Amino acid sequence: MNPEIKRGNYAKEKGEVILREHEYDGIQEFDQKLPNWWLFTFYGAIVWFVVYWGLYYHSNVYQTDQEKIIAQVGALQEKKDAELAATLASLDDETLIGKWSTDPAIVAAGEATYMVNCVACHAADLSATMDVAGNKIPLPGRALNDGVWEHGGKPMDVFKIINEGTPEGSTGLNGAKMQAWGQMLSPKQVAEVTAYLISRNSAEFAN
Amino acid sequence: MNTASAKTTTITYDDRTVRQFMIASIVWGIVGMLVGVICATQLSWWQMNGKFLEALTGGLFKGEGMQYITFGRLRPLHTNAVIFAFVGNMAFAGIYYSTQRLCKCRTASDLLSKIHMWGWQLIIVAAAITLPAGLTRGKEYAELIWPINLAVVVIWVVFAVNFFWTLAKRNEPSLYVALWFYIATIVTVAMLYIVNHLSIPTSLIHSYPIFGGLQDGLVQWWYGHNAVAFFLTTPILGIMYYFLPKAANRPVYSYRLSIIHFWSLVFIYIWAGPHHLLNTSLPRWLQMLGMLFSLMLWAPSWGGMLNGLLTLRGAWAKLRTDPVIKFFAAGITFYGMATFEGPLLSIRAVNALSHYTDWGIGHVHSGALGWNGFMAAGMFYWLAPRLWKTKLWSTSWANMHFWVGLVGILLYVVAMWTAGIMQGLMLGEVAEGGTTLKYEFVETLKAIQLPYILRSIGGTLYLIGFGMCAVNIFKTARSGSAHDDTVEVVVPDKKHDTMRIGAAVFNDPVAYCVLGLAAMILWFFLPPHADKAALLVAVLLSVKAIRAFQKNAHAWDHWHESLLRNYLPFTLLVFIAVAIGGSVQIIPSLLVNRDKNIEGRLQELYTPLELAGRDLYVNEGCYNCHSQMIRTLMPDVMRYGRAGKTDDFSHLGESLYDHPYQWGSKRTGPDLAREGGDFVAGSEHVRSGKRDNKWHWFHFMNPRWANEDSNMPPYPWLYEQKTDFKSLPGKIAVQRRLGVPFPAWTKDEIDQQAREQGMAIARSLFEGDAPVGYEPMKGASTEELVRHFSESQVVAMIAYIQKIGTYREITKDGPPQPMPLDPDSYRKLTEKNEAFRKGETTTNP
Repeated sequence: MNPEIKRGNYAKEKGEVILREHEYDGIQEFDQKLPNWWLFTFYGAIVWFVVYWGLYYHSNVYQTDQEKIIAQVGALQEKKDAELAATLASLDDETLIGKWSTDPAIVAAGEATYMVNCVACHAADLSATMDVAGNKIPLPGRALNDGVWEHGGKPMDVFKIINEGTPEGSTGLNGAKMQAWGQMLSPKQVAEVTAYLISRNSAEFAN
Repeated sequence: MNTASAKTTTITYDDRTVRQFMIASIVWGIVGMLVGVICATQLSWWQMNGKFLEALTGGLFKGEGMQYITFGRLRPLHTNAVIFAFVGNMAFAGIYYSTQRLCKCRTASDLLSKIHMWGWQLIIVAAAITLPAGLTRGKEYAELIWPINLAVVVIWVVFAVNFFWTLAKRNEPSLYVALWFYIATIVTVAMLYIVNHLSIPTSLIHSYPIFGGLQDGLVQWWYGHNAVAFFLTTPILGIMYYFLPKAANRPVYSYRLSIIHFWSLVFIYIWAGPHHLLNTSLPRWLQMLGMLFSLMLWAPSWGGMLNGLLTLRGAWAKLRTDPVIKFFAAGITFYGMATFEGPLLSIRAVNALSHYTDWGIGHVHSGALGWNGFMAAGMFYWLAPRLWKTKLWSTSWANMHFWVGLVGILLYVVAMWTAGIMQGLMLGEVAEGGTTLKYEFVETLKAIQLPYILRSIGGTLYLIGFGMCAVNIFKTARSGSAHDDTVEVVVPDKKHDTMRIGAAVFNDPVAYCVLGLAAMILWFFLPPHADKAALLVAVLLSVKAIRAFQKNAHAWDHWHESLLRNYLPFTLLVFIAVAIGGSVQIIPSLLVNRDKNIEGRLQELYTPLELAGRDLYVNEGCYNCHSQMIRTLMPDVMRYGRAGKTDDFSHLGESLYDHPYQWGSKRTGPDLAREGGDFVAGSEHVRSGKRDNKWHWFHFMNPRWANEDSNMPPYPWLYEQKTDFKSLPGKIAVQRRLGVPFPAWTKDEIDQQAREQGMAIARSLFEGDAPVGYEPMKGASTEELVRHFSESQVVAMIAYIQKIGTYREITKDGPPQPMPLDPDSYRKLTEKNEAFRKGETTTNP
C-alpha cells in the first residue's frame, strides 16, 4: 500500500484520506469526509419534507385531491353542457340528413368512431349479428340496418340515444342496455356517428 | 492480534453450499428470464397464451389458449422466479461465501446449510407448479399459497439460525459492513413476509389475507416495496461491499459513508411503500409520507453507489481487462440510475403519468437486469475460479456476455420508458374541444406495440448473455475440481459479544434518535398547534444532537465500534430501525374503525356466486393487467367515471371488504372499477353493469371480438370448467371471521343462492330472442345449455364483473370530527372538503 497514506480511524478534514487500521479478510477501508453535494441532497430532502408537510396541512396553498378533482370535473361538466347546447342549437333533422350525412369527410369521421366503439355490439355491417361457422349469432346490440328504430327514427332521436344511452325506464334489448356515449364522445362525434348511420340508411331517411 | 500468545486454528470453509446456491441461481435464472421473455411476447401476440402450441405440436394441442400459461398466471411465476429463485439463490451464495470469511469461521451447521439449500429449491419447485395451476393469494410477489408460505418461513428461520449462530462463533470480533446488510436483510424480510402473509385458510390450497381493502393495499406495498429494498438491495449491497474491494484490490471509499448510508437506508426505506398507491384513495397523509420519504431515500441509496464506484478509483484500468469489474461497475451504475428514478417516480405529479404504465416496468428492470443481474454475473465470474480452483474458462465469453447483456438492458429500458411515457400521455390527451378524451384505451395499447417488440428483443438478448454466463461457469467448473478453502486463523480472546442490551440502548446516540423520532411522529399525529410544538422539539433535539456529537464524537464513535463487536445488540437496533416506519403507517389504519373511513360509500356485499367469481378473477391473475382504482386524476375520472358524477373516483369504502384488495399496479387493459352495476328491475340475480352479460360472454370467448387490437388472452376453459360451489360456505365463514358482515347463511342457503344466480345469468344468455349459442354444444336444448352454464366458471366470472365497484351511499350528519391518528382530519377544512367528508358531493358543487 502507498506509504503516503495516513493510517488512523477517521478523517478529520475535508480532502483528507485515512486508511483505517482494521482489515476484514484482507479488505481495507478508507475514511474520508462526504461530498458536500451528497450531504446537501440529503439535508435538502429532509427540509423539503418539513416545508411541504407544513404547506399542505397548515396553509391553503394546496387543495386536497378530492377538492381539486371535484372542481375540475365540475368545470368540465359545465363546458360539456355548453358544448352540447351549442351543438343541439345548430343541429336538426334536416341539417343532419341534408348536410352532415352527405359530407364524405363527416361520414368518414363518423365511420371511424363507429368502428372503434360500436362494432362490438352492432357489427360492421350494422346487422348486429356475427358469423360463427356459418351461423348468424346475434350480438348484444340492435340491428341498425333493418329500418326499425326502437327509440324513434328521426335523426335527432338517433343522436339522443347515442348521446344518452338507453332511456331511463327502458328494459333494453333482452336486458341489454347501451351506455351513454356522450361520456366518451363529444357532441360533434355523436353527430358524426349519427350522420354515418343516416348515410348507411339513406333511402329510408330520404323519405 | 499479532501477539505471541495468540491461539490459532485451522478452518475449512463450507464452499460446497456456495457452489450449490450458485448453480441453483444460474439454473433458475435461466428459467425465470425465459418465462419473462414469453410473458413479454404475450403482450404483443395474444396467440402466445397457448394458441401457438397448435403450430408447435403440429395440431396435437388444439385450442385458442391454454390456462396454465396465460400472462395472468405466468407473470407471477416470472417475478417470483427472478426475485426469490434467481436473486435469492445468488444472494445466499454470496452471503454464505463472505460471511464465513468475514467471521473467520465455518458456517455453524452443515445440516442447517443443507436444509436451507434444498428446502429453498423445493419451495421454488412448489411455486413453479402452483402458480401456473392458478393457485395464488392474489398479491404481488406474495402469490404463493399458504402451505408454501409456511415452508418459506421455516426455511428463512433455518437460514437465520445458521447465520446468527455463525456470527456467535466468529473469530473476528468486529462486524464488517457487509454483515450489517445481511443482518438487516434477515431481520426485515422475516418481519415483512410474516405480516403480509397473515391469512386464514379456507382449504389446503386457498386462504384469505386477514387485511382487506385499504389495509391490505397498505400492508402489501409496505411488503412489496421492501421486498425490493431488503431482498433485492440490501443483500446485494453487502455482496458489493465484500466482492468489489476484493476484485478491485482497493480499500472501500469511505467508512463513515458506510455507517451513514447503512443506518439511513434501512430506516428510511421502510417508509416509502405508500408511493405505490399515490393519487389513489389512500389517505393523503400516507401518500405524503410515501412520497417524502422516497425523496429522502435518494441520498442514502446514492451513498451505496458512491461507496461502490469510488472504491474503483485507482482501479479503473481493470475495467478493460477484468469482466468482474466491468459487471460490478455497470451494476452499481444501474443501481444509481434506478435509485434516482425511484424518488422521481414517487413525486405525485410524475406518478400521475407513470403509474399503471410500462414506465414502472422499465424502472424495476433497470434494477433487476442492471443491478441484480450484473452484480450476480460479476460475483459468479469472481467466484467460479475460486470455488473450482481453476481459471475462468473464457474471458472473452464473459466480455461478450457483458456487451450483449448491456445492449439488452438498454433496449429494454428505453423501450419501456418510451412505451410508458407515450401511453401515459395518450391516456390523458383530450380531444378537440377539451371535453372528451382523444383515445380509446386500446388505441394507446396499439401505439406501444413497437416498443413492446423491442422490449422482447432486449429481454431475449439479456437471456442469451446470461446463457453464455451459464456455459462459461459450467466449463470453468469442468476444468477444475470442487475446492474448499482452508485457512489458519487467529482465535481472539473472547472480549466481544459482552455488551448488555442496556448499554446498547441507553446511550446518547440512541436516546437522541429515539426522542427525535418520537417528536417527529407526534408532529404527524398531534392536533394543530400541538403538532408544531412537537416539530419544534424535534428540531431542537436535532440541533442538540449535532452539538453533542461534535463535542463527544469520540464517545459516539466508541459506542458504534463496540456495537459492531456485539452482534445481538446491533441486530436489535436494526430491528427497531426497520420496525418504526411500518408501525407508524399501518397501525393507525388498523386502529381507526374502518367503517368510519369510507368516504361516504360503503361496498355492497358479494353474493356467493359473485364471491366465487372473484376468487376466479384472482386465480386467473386478472390483477396483473387490470386495476380497480380510479385515481383522483382527470384522465382517470374522465375515462372511467360515470356521466353526471363529479366525484366518481374510487372511494375507500368501495373496496372495504375486499380480501385481498385488487387495486392493481399496472394497466395493460382498462380499469374495471366501474364495470359493475345494480340488479336489473325485478331481479335479485342479474345485474346490469356498464356492459351486459352477453358482451362479457363474447369477450371472454374472444377479446378480439370487442376490439381487434386487444391483446387479452381468450378464456375458453371458463366455459368448460365448473365453479367450485362446495367451498363457498367455508369461504364465507372465513370472511365473516375477518369482519365482512355476511348474514349467517346456512350451507344450503349459500349453495341455493349461488345456483339460482347461476341459473338466472345463464338464462339471460340463452333465453330470449338472441341467445348467445355455444358451438361445442351444438344441438343441445336451451334448458341443457342453461343448466350447464349455470355452474360454469364463465357465469361466475360474469357475476363478479357485473358486481365490481357497487356500493351504497352513506351520508353522515354534522360536520366532520377530527379523528385521532388521522392527520388528514385536522387539516384546515375548506367548505368543499367538508362537504366531501359528509358525503354530499354526489351532485355538482
